[in-house]
Amino acid sequence: MQPYGNPKVKIKHKKLPGRVVVIADRCKGCDYCIDYCPRDVLVRSEGFNTKGYHPPKVANEDACTFCGLCERICPDFAIYLEHENTQRITIQEPRRKQNIEFFPSPLRGEFFMQGDIACAEGALAAGCRFFGAYPITPASEIAEHMSVVLPRLKGVFIQFEDEIASIAGILGASWAGRKSMTATSGPGISLMNENIGLGMMMEVPAVIVNVQRGSPSTGLPTSWGQSDMMQARWGSHGDYGSIALCPKSCQEMFDLTVMAFNYSEKYRLPVFIMSDGIVGHMTEKVVIPPVEKLKLVERKYTRKTADKYKPYEAGPDLVPEFAKAGDGYRYHTTGLTHDERGYPDMSEEAHQKLVNRLVNKIKAHADDIIILEEKDTEKADVIVISYGITSRLSAPAIAIAKKKGIKVGSLRLVTVWPFPEKRIRELSKRVSGFVVPEMNLGQIVLEVERCSGKNCTVAGIGHAGGGIIRTEDIVKAITEAAHGKKK
Amino acid sequence: MARKNKIVNPESHPMGDILRMDRMPHIWCSGCGLGTAMTAFVEGLKLAGADYNSTVVVSGIGCTARIAGYIKLDSYHTTHGRAIPFATGIKLANQDLKVVVFSGDGDLFAIGGNHLIHAARRNVDLTVICVNNFIYGMTGGQNAPTTPISAYSSTAPYGNCEEPFNLVGIAASAGASYVARWTALHTRRLSESVSTAFKRKGFSFIEVVSPCPTVYARKNRGGTGLDLLKEFAGRSVIDHTADPTKIPLDMDGKIVCGEFVNIEKPTFWDTVQAGLKKRFPNIYLEKKHMEE
Ligand SMILES: Cc1ncc(C[n+]2csc(CCOP(=O)(O)OP(=O)(O)O)c2C)c(N)n1
Ligand code: SF4
Ligand code: SF4
Ligand code: SF4
Ligand SMILES: [Mg+2]
Repeated sequence: MQPYGNPKVKIKHKKLPGRVVVIADRCKGCDYCIDYCPRDVLVRSEGFNTKGYHPPKVANEDACTFCGLCERICPDFAIYLEHENTQRITIQEPRRKQNIEFFPSPLRGEFFMQGDIACAEGALAAGCRFFGAYPITPASEIAEHMSVVLPRLKGVFIQFEDEIASIAGILGASWAGRKSMTATSGPGISLMNENIGLGMMMEVPAVIVNVQRGSPSTGLPTSWGQSDMMQARWGSHGDYGSIALCPKSCQEMFDLTVMAFNYSEKYRLPVFIMSDGIVGHMTEKVVIPPVEKLKLVERKYTRKTADKYKPYEAGPDLVPEFAKAGDGYRYHTTGLTHDERGYPDMSEEAHQKLVNRLVNKIKAHADDIIILEEKDTEKADVIVISYGITSRLSAPAIAIAKKKGIKVGSLRLVTVWPFPEKRIRELSKRVSGFVVPEMNLGQIVLEVERCSGKNCTVAGIGHAGGGIIRTEDIVKAITEAAHGKKK
Repeated sequence: MARKNKIVNPESHPMGDILRMDRMPHIWCSGCGLGTAMTAFVEGLKLAGADYNSTVVVSGIGCTARIAGYIKLDSYHTTHGRAIPFATGIKLANQDLKVVVFSGDGDLFAIGGNHLIHAARRNVDLTVICVNNFIYGMTGGQNAPTTPISAYSSTAPYGNCEEPFNLVGIAASAGASYVARWTALHTRRLSESVSTAFKRKGFSFIEVVSPCPTVYARKNRGGTGLDLLKEFAGRSVIDHTADPTKIPLDMDGKIVCGEFVNIEKPTFWDTVQAGLKKRFPNIYLEKKHMEE
């Protein structure tokens, strides 16, 4: 017996102000309460509970001083004091707070602006009010710009200690109701991947900008590439639907960042901007419309009361309604497989249901998410499929091939993930070949091959990054495809 | 077997308003100190008069981290080591929320150690409670950065030869505003400490030394949870004046408990605001920076 932290109470009670209650089946028989009761009120019972433990029983009620140590020390919430006339449960009505106010971005009009900064401005215009990142070339300008502007817009800028903290931080901020973003390059995304999976599993809206460099590893820090395209699809472990947008210009760094926020809010997931060192670091004309003219999608906050609300219950659109921290819903969320209440559920059914939904919520809305830019594809014999900066590199080659009399069209993937399978399959039945230039050694070309089957030829033109794909190589591939030759 | 236990009325316990009694029994082993630490925590919140609708609990991964699943607040069970940056995000995004991180020694000091020292350095307004069971409980008793020299673990079969961290020393040196250490046995003092830490603005840190009978004690012949509590009782001394950097824990020496640091200093947010104010004297920062 050791009255630790609890001086012996010497008062004599004639009548207790209540009783000591043992929830026998919850007890795990640790004997803490029996041993620590300063008055030896409790003893081990002879019998077993349903778990096979001997729970305590009150043997000497008169000695009890109602000190409550048994309740405090019990690790299993199996013993407590029931005071007379006390009401146990007070259910608080959820307190709905207003959503965080929207402050317009200060910029509007025409600018000569760097791609990274246009991206930051796009985020601000979309209502991003939390930015957390770790410096890395060629994405640092986004952080630098945010550090200047965000505090003036009552937003939060924080330079975290690493990229792992950055992604975890923006997920937290998003739960607190702020549109949040981080920006990095390949090495940072590699560090973030575990928590990108957390964002997918918890379904947290956020935007992740990857200004791609030459990779793998530290690669070409001050240069460019497109080598993380598959990482944006499959980077974190497990199955989940992913959205990735690929800007080709400074203007699109602005426009697509706004769009990325819209998708992330609408479908509740972290969305990727897959830029690259060229687009991030070049400077060109950017037109910023007034905020009122932008189409912004806001988060779907629940209107249900706390007792009716299930954080992971999704309607036909497969996207659950949101309640942010502090709204009074007091629910649980976890990266473990969970049921509709958010509680961990390790069953096969729960897992199937959840993971399928995470994949299907993107699949089902693919038509809404996929943006393609097509030119002369209807009558083309050859189509150049490109994305991001490679579409600009392909343009002169397409012009030359046209002059040679080849019917060539172009299809640019503005949305790379989800992949536009349907459209590529359709086109593959009509053309003699696809040409896919990209600044990696063949990533998206694999998807094009998958969707084309044997319908047409598919020629990839790979480049590891750090330079540009030569026009003559693209022209050559187009010419070969027009003549029906396989690569 | 006990999973679908119907006999227990989930609301009949006095903590039913703040614990998810529908999830009891919890996953912790018989005699594990985590349930007791959680009771002390909940009582601490009550003492502090916490508003349950604006109190958020964030945890990482581990036995301790499961606490987030049992507490009926906005509760976030994140990834291993990342509770602190996740919580930092929540706090900075909404200053009205009180954010508590509750996680294990491995989670907060091994994989998440860097986040901890940086959050303490910045003095982010968080209450961090670290349950130190000297081991990786959840994964089966591997070496933790707290495992004492010569203790056995599943990855130190010949006895640990790595010097362990002194958690309170690290938190204090990194700049925490509040630093305390208790054992699971000190339930009432721990509750008071939680209450003080919760009300203290800035980075507060509490180490809770807790018995893990299933893996730590088994490997080190420590006996049952009760035996460990008794051992703690014998080894604990309370000394609020102790220098937190000079009271490391070992296999069988003193466990110096107490409130070692409790100071008022500007939080991360205060310094950010002060910096802006200095640069732009006329901006709107008078009141709270982020009204909703
Ligand atoms: C990235 C990653 N690595 C490893 C693990 C496996 N893991 C889960 S809990 C844990 C250790 C937890 O130890 P501690 O924080 O001391 O918690 P305890 O179980 O002792 O309470 C580890 C290594 C993981 N979940 N994630
Ligand atoms: S309240 Fe519990 S610990 Fe205190 S005297 Fe009564 S039975 Fe013993
Ligand atoms: S402290 Fe709780 S779990 Fe342990 S014996 Fe007593 S009632 Fe049972
Ligand atoms: S393994 Fe140890 S820490 Fe984990 S629940 Fe069991 S006794 Fe507690
Ligand atoms: Mg541990």
